[in-house]
Amino acid sequence: MSYARMKFYCDEERCIECNGCSVACAEAHELPVGISRRKVVTLNDGIEGKEFSVSVACMHCTDAPCEQVCPVDCFYIREDGIVLHDKEICIGCGYCLYACPFGAPQFPKDGAFGTRGVMDKCTMCAGGPEETNSAKERELYGQDRIAEGKVPACAAMCSTKALIVGDEQEVSKIYRKRVMSRGKGVQSAPYGWSTAYGN
Amino acid sequence: MANTWGYGAMTNSLGDIQNAKAIIIFGANPAVNHPVGFRHFLMAKERNNAQLIVVDPRFTKTAAKADLFAQIRPGTDIPFMYGMLHIIFKNGWHKKDFIDQRVYGMEDVMKEAKKWTPSLTANVTGVSEDLLIQITRAYAKSTPGTLIWAMGLTQHSIGSSNTRMAPILQLALGNMGEEGGGCNILRGHDNVQGATDMCCLSHTLPGYYGLSAGSWKYFAKSWGVDYEWLAGRFKDKKWMSKKGFTLARWYAGVLAGKAGEDKIHNGGTNLKALFVMGNGITSISQQAKVKEALDALDLIVLADPFVNEAAILTDKKDDVFILPAATQFETSGSVTATNRSAQWRSEVVKPMYESKTDHDIMFELAKRLGFYDQFTKGMLIKENKKSFKFPEDATDEIARIIKTIGLTGWTSKRLKKHQENWHLFDQVSMRGIGPMKGEYYGLPWPCWTESHCGSPVLYDVHRPVKEGGMGFRNRFGLVHDGVSQLAGVGIKDAKVEGGYPEITAKNIEKVLGIKLSEDEKKKIGKNWKVDTSGIIAAKCMEFGIAPYGNAKARAKVWTFPDQIPMHREPLHSPREDLVKKYPTYKDKPNHYRVDTRYASVQNKEDWSKKFPINLVTGRLVNLNGAGVENRASKYLAALTPEMFCDINPNLAANHGIRDGDMMWIHSPEGTKIKVKAHYSYSVGEDRVFIPFHFAGFFQGEDRTGNYPEGTKPYAVGESANTVTNYGYDIITQIPETKGGLCRVEKA
Amino acid sequence: MKKILMLCLGFFGLYAREIAGKVPLVSKDMAPHSGGDLLVSSQMIDNILHYQTWGELFVYLQVHWFRLLFFGITVGVLVVFLLHYLIIGPKKFAHSGKGIFVYSIFKRVVHWAAALAFVLVIPTGFMMIFGKELGGGDLVLTARYVHSIGTVLFIVSFIPMFLMWLIPMLPSFDDIKWFLMLGGYLTKKKVVVPAGQFNAGQKMWFWVAMLGGIVMIGSGAMMYFQDFHLSILDRFGLDQIDLIRVAAITHNFLGMAVAALFITHLYMSLFAIKGSLDSMIDGYKSEDEVRYMHSSFYKKLKKEDKI
Repeated sequence: MSYARMKFYCDEERCIECNGCSVACAEAHELPVGISRRKVVTLNDGIEGKEFSVSVACMHCTDAPCEQVCPVDCFYIREDGIVLHDKEICIGCGYCLYACPFGAPQFPKDGAFGTRGVMDKCTMCAGGPEETNSAKERELYGQDRIAEGKVPACAAMCSTKALIVGDEQEVSKIYRKRVMSRGKGVQSAPYGWSTAYGN
Repeated sequence: MANTWGYGAMTNSLGDIQNAKAIIIFGANPAVNHPVGFRHFLMAKERNNAQLIVVDPRFTKTAAKADLFAQIRPGTDIPFMYGMLHIIFKNGWHKKDFIDQRVYGMEDVMKEAKKWTPSLTANVTGVSEDLLIQITRAYAKSTPGTLIWAMGLTQHSIGSSNTRMAPILQLALGNMGEEGGGCNILRGHDNVQGATDMCCLSHTLPGYYGLSAGSWKYFAKSWGVDYEWLAGRFKDKKWMSKKGFTLARWYAGVLAGKAGEDKIHNGGTNLKALFVMGNGITSISQQAKVKEALDALDLIVLADPFVNEAAILTDKKDDVFILPAATQFETSGSVTATNRSAQWRSEVVKPMYESKTDHDIMFELAKRLGFYDQFTKGMLIKENKKSFKFPEDATDEIARIIKTIGLTGWTSKRLKKHQENWHLFDQVSMRGIGPMKGEYYGLPWPCWTESHCGSPVLYDVHRPVKEGGMGFRNRFGLVHDGVSQLAGVGIKDAKVEGGYPEITAKNIEKVLGIKLSEDEKKKIGKNWKVDTSGIIAAKCMEFGIAPYGNAKARAKVWTFPDQIPMHREPLHSPREDLVKKYPTYKDKPNHYRVDTRYASVQNKEDWSKKFPINLVTGRLVNLNGAGVENRASKYLAALTPEMFCDINPNLAANHGIRDGDMMWIHSPEGTKIKVKAHYSYSVGEDRVFIPFHFAGFFQGEDRTGNYPEGTKPYAVGESANTVTNYGYDIITQIPETKGGLCRVEKA
Repeated sequence: MKKILMLCLGFFGLYAREIAGKVPLVSKDMAPHSGGDLLVSSQMIDNILHYQTWGELFVYLQVHWFRLLFFGITVGVLVVFLLHYLIIGPKKFAHSGKGIFVYSIFKRVVHWAAALAFVLVIPTGFMMIFGKELGGGDLVLTARYVHSIGTVLFIVSFIPMFLMWLIPMLPSFDDIKWFLMLGGYLTKKKVVVPAGQFNAGQKMWFWVAMLGGIVMIGSGAMMYFQDFHLSILDRFGLDQIDLIRVAAITHNFLGMAVAALFITHLYMSLFAIKGSLDSMIDGYKSEDEVRYMHSSFYKKLKKEDKI
């Protein structure tokens, strides 16, 4: 049996910087304020013809560089491509952040004496290595919506459906449809895909 | 709008915007204020390659997605649209047969438009001639085009002219009564359309029935109360037909008599008590006056799920009551969406702690004031019941009484069925499938009878009335200046040819060519608006016509100070040269009980000398209204933790203000606010933008100590409305918050 | 090959400048309206734009080289010293007599404070580098904290040590000679080694520990604090995240040198010269040892009649 390959796609033609995704994410996982598993980035804010926004979080890369550089090997990649990590192994060194092309890893100041603690990042709402939907998983990683058959909170909340998540094939189909119907801005792949997925 | 063609409501729907080939937005920022609805705009771009045109004083998030963007000077929408019409008429891009058949008074508009050459328009609006021509061409040549507006168009001293101008543009292009066309006003909050339809206003009874004795009698009968009893509640009968104070100027009712305050006409007394139910008092203009008025009141009652920040603003210590009202999740009932659709809402949880629903608060109040039985009687009448079930019986009462906008079909049973079958409706056309086939989602009003499908697109003569078609409403008589006001085109499948007048008991037989039975004659109401027997509606459906007539829309409103919309500079204009050329109105006495100043403010001094910068206010995506419920959410508050001012780096640098510095904004009212400067190129060098969602500070003074323990929101700041300028619309008295002046300095 | 080229260019920072020049104007604000402590840094934008330079270089080095080099250098140094010990053996000096008083109590305290810092920092550094083998988790996390605490101790001992040994640690002609004969360690014979109070090997260790120490502290602090803001960065076209990446790369490479010399220092003091440890305990060095190993210093003392 082959698994779906889960990917994120944010359509910068549609993203309006409403921050619905990032707030939904923070609410869903009850993140500390200031920890942004997902952020909306606006480039050239206020400049006509150049401003655009894009919602960014962990892209769950193929050959994820974070997984490669981790000195304690706390990452694991599921068969559906979701990149997760074990907070009980993580030492919060920050190497994954240096390796990440998307700035996804976050470091809540919840370590000893209020110092930087272990890393926190987007789980694509798939929890962590603990028992699915256990209290411990929820405490450490937030909701496990994938296990419940639900769409990750960010994409579910996206007001303009700029942010899409799902099986690569389906996402590509939507992407191609949108590019075709717009009839302009020909790109070979959605934003960030070449970096994240190497295609 | 209502004065142009009958109803003052969004003509199409958000989903229908997907059918548009061009979209022009005046003074609205749907990407921020209607992010979910904005999807339809983006879909129109994808589906139809629709041109998205944004005309706004600043480069908004909506403008960032636009194909064409014009940065207009605040308060010059009328010149801009006349500039467009000038080009349209000159090139013959207007739809002549549409105008001939369905519009009255367009000749006057054509005459006025002739004056607005591109160069004059460019001078007044600040938009280049090239861009104006480009926009006009893009919009006029791609039909159907939809025209969107919101508060940016209405909140001006000429707001009511603005809202007539936009329909005129649409009428000239024949964009009305079309899928993908229409005038689509975006309502700013949940259920604003419903609140407006129920006329939570001071100048009309529910359903826009007006305040005439006839209307009062109709309602007395419908509510099952004695008309004389109702009249007895007033000082005397003549006050029944007088307009009340508006939200924008209630404070004048308190402050009158003090030096420099406007005179009021309120039966010889000032306002003494204020009862607020879910209105963010801090989001209306003239905060300094509002504060003064709050302090001077005898009694303040604030019913709100969160602490209404009026309580924070006032220095009054006694007789201020904060009642915990339930949220929408703790109650049920119907709400009306921006497109006139109703949606039933279910109770998710019971009211928590000691909070009470709004209706319970009102019931308790009515009990204490001794008219609970009269207050609730209307709910018992239909089935002659002993007790009522809220809100179902209230909804049915509304359906029974409100004919003007066709709420007859909105029974609670039908609305619930629509909610339960949400998935069976198409998002774009709103058409139902399967068991819901033949109905439109939420039965957008007018929904003439209990079996009518609703009307998703107003004034659409291309579809039969039984599928939601209709002409323009016959509201302004049959003849004006010797010209017939009836339409020159009939409604599809109607058994009545061409235009026809609104249906009354008197003309029904003649118009339909029928004979009523004696029984029918006995039962029938005076006209379609008060015919509770349903005979007029039933006959009209049979003949395929809308009861309200089929007339021409009027470009000329002969009862208004400006018969056709005319440009008038804002009271505080940065262009003194244009003030002379386009002066505002004469002062208006007894305008909603308050003498309101126009020319005397505009001519007091050359405001642009001391206050050279345009002040634009607006919303943020994460906050809403006065903002207290959003600022109480830590994640939403974290997006904008402080009140700020978007300022062009060039303007800021000229005043020595660095990004992140604190700065003062001074208004011509003599008030000021201290806010954080936020460098942004989205505003030009002649204007600044401030959001109006903050409260807790007043003119630099921290008032957050006034929050009851544990209720202080995560984000607090100065209210933008402390510095918005004096100025009110000549018809509606909406405050002129979108066209004021200010001065900035480093704090 | 491309990677190697990139690595070389990367070191010169040329490539970085070239890329940075092409980057469009960027809003530095993460949230649309900055301000307040609630908002996080602007790392993310920088990541997206500049990843190809330092990000990829960091990944390349961390994945392929750092662990290997650390392992290689450590093992290499240990093997060399083991062979040295077995083949050439330690130097033995007569410990009769009073000896020469070289280290005051102050100097000894400072030295041992620094020594303790190194003992805390270097093994915990290794624990992090080879965290995988240790299974990560609390053990390595604790090592990370200890690494930071050790740094604080090092900072405390750093200044007095630097000042007290700055003059004798300055280079001299003896150092060249010392290097030419590799300090006389490659022969079993007792040879007279040209050196002042400190020989060139000690000096090398001193300077690596001091100057390298500053760099290690600086780069480590960047990694530790992570969310700092340096407005000066903009002038150099560097983004904060890139600076941290450079810091991480530097920290690793320099760490190798420090570790290698630390092991050398341990070997020298504990094994290579029997009894040399005593001088750091009671302050006295045997006259015999000074005569041979620090001949210039010995002559100077003689001349000044201090012996």
